[in-house]
Amino acid sequence: MAQFKNSTVKIDNEEKMSGKALFTDDLPSEGFLWVRPLRSNIPCGRIRTINVPKLPKGYYWVDAKDIVKENVVNIIFSDWPVFADRRVNYYGETIGLLIGPDKAKLEELGRLLQVNYDEEIPHFKLNNSKIHKSFTKGNLDEVIKNHDFMLEETFETGYQEQVYLEPQSMIMWLDGDKITIKASMQCPFYIKNAVVRTLGCSPDKVRVIQPAVGGAFGGKEHYPSMMAAQLATAIMKIKKPLKMVFDRSEDLMYTTKRHPSRTTYTGYVKDGRLVGVKAHVGLNGGAYLGCSGVVLNRGLIAVVDSYDVPNLDVTGDVYVTNTMPTAAFRGFGSPQTIFAFEMFIEHIAKAIGVDPVEFKLKHLVKKGQTTAVNGKFHDDIILPQLVEKAMEMSDFKRKYKEYSKPGSNRGIGISTFLHGCGFTGSGESTIINAQLKLTKDENDIVHLYTSQVDFGQGNRTTLKKIVSDTLGIPEEQVTHEAPDTDHTLSTGPTAASRTIIIVGYLCEKAAKHLKEIWKPGVYQEWIEPYVGPDYIHWDEDTLQGDAYPGYAWGVNIVEISFDPITYQVKVEGAWSTYDVGHAIDERIVIGQADGGLAQAIGYGYLENMEMAEGRFRQKTLADYIIPTSADLPMMETELIDNLFAYGASGAKGCGELTFVGGAPALCHAIEMAINRKIYKIPANPEYLMELVENGKD
Amino acid sequence: MVNHYIPSSLKEALKVLNNHDCYIMAGGTDLMVVKHQKSGIVPNFDKDVCYISNLKELQYIYEDEQGVHIGAGTKFVDIENSMIVPDLLKQIIHELASPNIRNMATMAGNIANASPAGDSIVGLYLLDAKLELVNVNGSRLVPIEKFILGVRKIARKSNEIIKEIFIPHHDDLNTYWRKVGSRAAESISKVTFAGGYQVEDGVVKDLRMAFGSIGVTCVRDQKIEQKCIGMTVEELHKNIDNILNDMSKNITPITDQRSTKEYRYKVAMNILKDFLNVIE
Repeated sequence: MAQFKNSTVKIDNEEKMSGKALFTDDLPSEGFLWVRPLRSNIPCGRIRTINVPKLPKGYYWVDAKDIVKENVVNIIFSDWPVFADRRVNYYGETIGLLIGPDKAKLEELGRLLQVNYDEEIPHFKLNNSKIHKSFTKGNLDEVIKNHDFMLEETFETGYQEQVYLEPQSMIMWLDGDKITIKASMQCPFYIKNAVVRTLGCSPDKVRVIQPAVGGAFGGKEHYPSMMAAQLATAIMKIKKPLKMVFDRSEDLMYTTKRHPSRTTYTGYVKDGRLVGVKAHVGLNGGAYLGCSGVVLNRGLIAVVDSYDVPNLDVTGDVYVTNTMPTAAFRGFGSPQTIFAFEMFIEHIAKAIGVDPVEFKLKHLVKKGQTTAVNGKFHDDIILPQLVEKAMEMSDFKRKYKEYSKPGSNRGIGISTFLHGCGFTGSGESTIINAQLKLTKDENDIVHLYTSQVDFGQGNRTTLKKIVSDTLGIPEEQVTHEAPDTDHTLSTGPTAASRTIIIVGYLCEKAAKHLKEIWKPGVYQEWIEPYVGPDYIHWDEDTLQGDAYPGYAWGVNIVEISFDPITYQVKVEGAWSTYDVGHAIDERIVIGQADGGLAQAIGYGYLENMEMAEGRFRQKTLADYIIPTSADLPMMETELIDNLFAYGASGAKGCGELTFVGGAPALCHAIEMAINRKIYKIPANPEYLMELVENGKD
Repeated sequence: MVNHYIPSSLKEALKVLNNHDCYIMAGGTDLMVVKHQKSGIVPNFDKDVCYISNLKELQYIYEDEQGVHIGAGTKFVDIENSMIVPDLLKQIIHELASPNIRNMATMAGNIANASPAGDSIVGLYLLDAKLELVNVNGSRLVPIEKFILGVRKIARKSNEIIKEIFIPHHDDLNTYWRKVGSRAAESISKVTFAGGYQVEDGVVKDLRMAFGSIGVTCVRDQKIEQKCIGMTVEELHKNIDNILNDMSKNITPITDQRSTKEYRYKVAMNILKDFLNVIE
């Protein structure tokens, strides 16, 4: 079964290393008109008038009045208008588009265009809940009546910006009466569906083609749908090819971020065991809900991370505020709760005077136990092996003892975590219904068609590898082009760590079937629908049952040194072990491991994005600080196989897994070095100064 | 409409500056950022620009009996690699911005930009650097602290150009440098500190302290330094709290998108304390 482990050269290596790859902004676009969004400059109010200056010939203004059918962006919960209509609900909301051939002229017109508002008092507090969820497990009331120790703590996490290398960009033109779109994206069919919905047109009038894409991290899951709906409205009015490319600072200020969170836990200990937890998770959803309800679900499902807590009472809310809407970002709600719970469980251990790491290991979930949402862990869980290996790699036990001594100014921390792969619950069979098409031409070349976008993570290579290995033919005999909605069926969005576990599995099954019917020299086609494990049952309304088809597992260990003069943290070492089922391509998984952990470490101590009066204060990459290679140590990663029955050769997901545990491992290490408790991230020097000078042990 | 001048000699450049009020562009690494509009739109220059990056006669480093002379057109990378530039400056430059910026930018540009977070400025204050300003009529030598007047405010007359940075020799000065940025590389400073001292037979012969990013300009208070000179090292260490107290009134940082005034103040004090403790 281990035939895939060998690392291959990624299909897109040459074109990207050489600079030949064409990203959206590089595509030929002669005669295209530039599109400049005109955005709200207040956080909340009614639009009284929009005074558009006299436009020169060839210049256009498009706004809510031009909506063809429906003024809404098709996202999971569709409440976000394509253009603000009569009122604005956050600073930066798009009111309309100025369109024309000269960028500088558009800026000038933008300065002349006047919007008059009746300003209203904006709402920034997290108390206006629009989505409320709850579930229980066991019987927390019994535990509350009968326990030895109780602790309540609140944790906060901040905004995080994706900082994909390529900013949001899209071009759109009419091919006859068909709208054709190329864009930086994650989900071609989401874009297509968004256009179909706002225009009310037939699906065959919209085609989405993916060019080279420079990173996404969730930031291109929904936002391109917004851009496409705006441009489609414009193109129906003016019938000219259009181009919209964001500058970096525009992208920082006006696109979706990770949800800030506030999580409160009350933990109950009996006989040295954490027997019950009451939890509340609050997310700042911004002005519109979009996918926030699903983000909350994922956060709630991961509410006790990889630990077994038999009695739970869990609630969560998405709060609406007059701020930029928050949306998808690697981890999708679970990094927030996993950070909070990892910190909380160690704080409990410290409070009852036991070793935090031993306490955590005692609580690790095991196969056959129930999940937080009363599903079952059906598959083998190899967390103890992952922990042991990671500890051995990092010399954890010696360092842990040594750095625990006061004044060492050094620390080492460990986190264990899980990530549910694929869409939540039965979403894969009920919402997405992926179908994969495989064809073979007369020359016996096999063509693989998916809607998975390779934005750097390597799935053009890995999915193709699954097909060629399963068929037992050379990789060169299989093609896997970037998605084109006219040529591929929807295999679903490139999100939720579903590409390998779901689409990879489809590739393997389809290839097996094609192999069975293989006739040399003739055209053949096979369409494979996704059928998940039949033992998975999920109730979306009550959040009860098996939340995911399968889980990937991981352990992060981070070592730091602390400078007591400047309160700065230096990351000295990082070690990880993962159970991703089985690596289709080890180097690609290591790429995810290094990148995911780097992004997670940044989330934990560097990446600070503050909101003041509804506006982000960090407007450039000189102020929004992400780690560079100078901030990161060499990272060591080991993978341990644990084959998953419903994955290609046993493979599960890995894209988000490598992100979720980094921040808490880092913060455990910082806590050790400063002998203080951390309650929020980013744990930047300004916060650590407060803790060191005024905090509690 | 603005005009762009690309003189081929310093003499020609001075003539241009005598007749036109210009931005002087060397590496352009600050100016192009300040004047940047949006990608695809030309930078927004509101007056003429005079380009000096091709003037070879401004690109030199040499030393004489008095000190080190650095031509205003010399790029950071060349200063960093020089054998005769004081180590303190080389250390500062090594942590400044990124290699690609250091390949383009000049130290004279860092001075003329007069940002409170200009790193090289702090080292130059500490080393009593002077600037040679020239115009069509002649030249004058101005101490750096008389040249930088405030945030992005300098004492250059519109027909003048910085020709040279002069750094007097300080062969016996021990130096100390601390840059506190948001990350290990490519970061704008939250606090910087350069210290210098010389001790002979247990007596402080020279003591210098310069801070960056904690006020509108670099802060160096020679009155405090003078008080300490002549103390024994032991006395100096006993007086650390007094020195910190004296210095504290000079440390007037702000809160912005990069840090808080509380953090900058506290860290500046911590660093000063560390520096004074290092002296032996």
